[in-house]
Amino acid sequence: MMSPLRRLVWSDVGRRARILLRFAEVEADGGRDLVRASEATEDPILRGLFLRHAADEARHAKLFRRRATDLMADGAAGAEAASEWLAQGERGLDDLRVEQESDRDLLAFLHLSESAAARDFQTYVKVLERDPGTREIFEIIGRDETHHMAYTLKQLQRLDPKRHRWAIFKARARRLWKAYLRVAGAIGAFFGAIVLSVEYFIVLPPFAILDRRALRRETPGWRPVDDARARNLSRQY
Amino acid sequence: MNILGISAHYHDAAAALVIDGHPVASAQEERFSRRKNDAGFPLSAIEWCLDYARLEPDDLDAVVFYERPLLKFERILTTALRAFPAGRAAFAHGMKNALGEKTWVRGNICAHLGVPGRKVLFTGHHHSHAAAAFLTAPSDAAAILTADGVGEWATLSLGRGERRSGRADITLQREVRFPHSLGMLYSTFTDFLGFQVNEGEYKVMGLAAYGRPRFAEEVRRLVSRTGDGAFSLNLDYFDYHRTVARSYSRKFLDLFGPPRSPFEPIDLATEAGQRFADVAASVQLVLEEVLLDLAVALRRETGLPDLCLGGGVALNGVANARLLAESGFERILVPPAPGDAGCALGAALYADRIHFGNPDREPADHPFWGPDVDPAELVRLGREDNFPVERLDDGPLIARTVDDLMAGRIVGWMDGALELGPRALGHRSILAAPHDSALRDRINRDIKFREQFRPFAPIVPIEAADEYFELPPGGARLARYMSGVFKVKAKHRQALSAVTHVDGTARVQTLERSIEPRLHALLTAYGRASGVPVLLNTSFNLAGEPIVNRVAEGYSTFRRCGMDVLVAGGARMVKPALARAERQEAYA
Repeated sequence: MMSPLRRLVWSDVGRRARILLRFAEVEADGGRDLVRASEATEDPILRGLFLRHAADEARHAKLFRRRATDLMADGAAGAEAASEWLAQGERGLDDLRVEQESDRDLLAFLHLSESAAARDFQTYVKVLERDPGTREIFEIIGRDETHHMAYTLKQLQRLDPKRHRWAIFKARARRLWKAYLRVAGAIGAFFGAIVLSVEYFIVLPPFAILDRRALRRETPGWRPVDDARARNLSRQY
Repeated sequence: MNILGISAHYHDAAAALVIDGHPVASAQEERFSRRKNDAGFPLSAIEWCLDYARLEPDDLDAVVFYERPLLKFERILTTALRAFPAGRAAFAHGMKNALGEKTWVRGNICAHLGVPGRKVLFTGHHHSHAAAAFLTAPSDAAAILTADGVGEWATLSLGRGERRSGRADITLQREVRFPHSLGMLYSTFTDFLGFQVNEGEYKVMGLAAYGRPRFAEEVRRLVSRTGDGAFSLNLDYFDYHRTVARSYSRKFLDLFGPPRSPFEPIDLATEAGQRFADVAASVQLVLEEVLLDLAVALRRETGLPDLCLGGGVALNGVANARLLAESGFERILVPPAPGDAGCALGAALYADRIHFGNPDREPADHPFWGPDVDPAELVRLGREDNFPVERLDDGPLIARTVDDLMAGRIVGWMDGALELGPRALGHRSILAAPHDSALRDRINRDIKFREQFRPFAPIVPIEAADEYFELPPGGARLARYMSGVFKVKAKHRQALSAVTHVDGTARVQTLERSIEPRLHALLTAYGRASGVPVLLNTSFNLAGEPIVNRVAEGYSTFRRCGMDVLVAGGARMVKPALARAERQEAYA
């Protein structure tokens, strides 16, 4: 259903470059989180797998960045980032604090995250038929994501053969909650920006005029430091 | 008396603990969270400091925040008003940014630590810088100069510090206020040159060596000297006080040409690449000129032989060395963390000495305030993952490491307590032989994954420093925390080619045996074997990551890059391929 919309989002070359750059950042962040996970786990098998996974993410970041740079070199710079939410990539580990997660919860979260990314990337392959360079990158990375999806599930089954489905269910609920928070945050930010703009243009102009008058009286150069005030550590002002 | 200092919310969050006047622990939040330049409330760093000293928050007599949040809020609001009506976006951004925990700091600290509000104190931002610089410096009386992007309002302050009759005092006499800022001037060029602001400034300094200051006149048009000896910026060329989108204005671009895309590598063989290097050289020159004028005037005014430098601008080693050479001060004292991270320690010391009036203490003149290394952890990791690892006593460990370095291997070196500040000063370092530029290129390519134009620093025992580097009087002191850039003696440049920058300089660290005996022994032993007691020393991290803290982080870094050997305390690990080669060599 989203396919025509996504086709539209990816149709602009500038926007495509920006989205790829954002994907590169997310992949790099996800890679760093996986390194952190490898440092935090006590399980040697997971340590090795997380490090390999982290290397994959770093490679993906490089592929995305290089492609974005190529697109920009072809004159694609400067497009606005509108509608980027329609082209989600891997969300990395969001704001997960990996050192506070159990291996089981982390694997479940990773499994879902990689599954979502693999699905999204398949869609992008379909809508990018006119850009074989970018399409090829999504094909390569999509294959990796499928592998990541498989290993995380396999390891989850190893760690908790009886309750791995429950772990995935919990991780899914957390992802939904985070998605809700993201939407709520975006709505809040939107209304916040409106309120602040109204305040700026309606409430603040008299203060701005007064402040500008004060500014005209100010001369650049040295200002004395009020020593008594500096020594009073109770003041926040 | 137990005092906790905190810096947070803008960049380099950190915590520091001072007990009975002595600093006992300090660390940056990024070293725990593993997010570079983590600005969040430094809860992990605070927890570590308290755990280290076996204290509970209830045991604290005061918690000192490193700046005055409401004064900062006033500056943000006023700046947006002055830009009216163009400042709408800056206003919205500033309010959303500031009205959260950044402004309600007292409540936030009380909520996190459970301490009563009356225990929470606030120092001025530049007073924290000044205290971090003077109260940790071995000087009885010194002039103080602090300079950064901006604190609350101040961007540069001058004053003096004194120790007399067992008491210490700091007085800042005058300041330059935002938006006139040397730090913002340099950051604007950092932005223009496609580097990340508050992170890439040292890249501008490194790039400057490749350029000629042919844009110096243009940069001077941006900075005017005021009649009273201060300076002001010509704000028509800047946008940082009007918008959050970029630092420079259209007029700035008319003067210096198009900016560099952050995604395009700098190619010095091209005209554009050379222009960027020339612009970097020009802003570096003008920064030095202004700082030098200020320092000369301060020297004349105070008549004191020592100058304590604080604030992010004090990380500019080229400017520091020029101040030492030309300002008339005999010593330039720069703390290991002159930026905001060091403000946590500065704020705690300021409260102890000046607010509570406690007696002065012998300054603890070293940078090692963080968590220690546990070699047993490396042994465990090696055994679990089948990586060859062994425990060695000091003698064999030094001998094996010298062999590694002589064989052109790259060694990750973790030893003792973690450094405070942005420099690896020998406790979390990557070490290599200094003579081979191919090795330098390999470290750039396979380990640090960074630009080719960036130099590596040498480390040398203090007693051998004069043989290899042109250190003026006071130079060895400035080099103690890698705060100065000095010429490598011409006759040794070949032997030190991996650590000699294109202009024949190096940001050398001079090492005293007393502050790091094991590394000093390694340098001495390497000197005996190679004839040159100097090593390449770079921070133990990969691009985009903070310096490693625990052994597990050193180990994961070791596995992810082209490093050959990892030493953690008394444990030595090698890459399996290298171990196989070593075995074959032993059998042969």
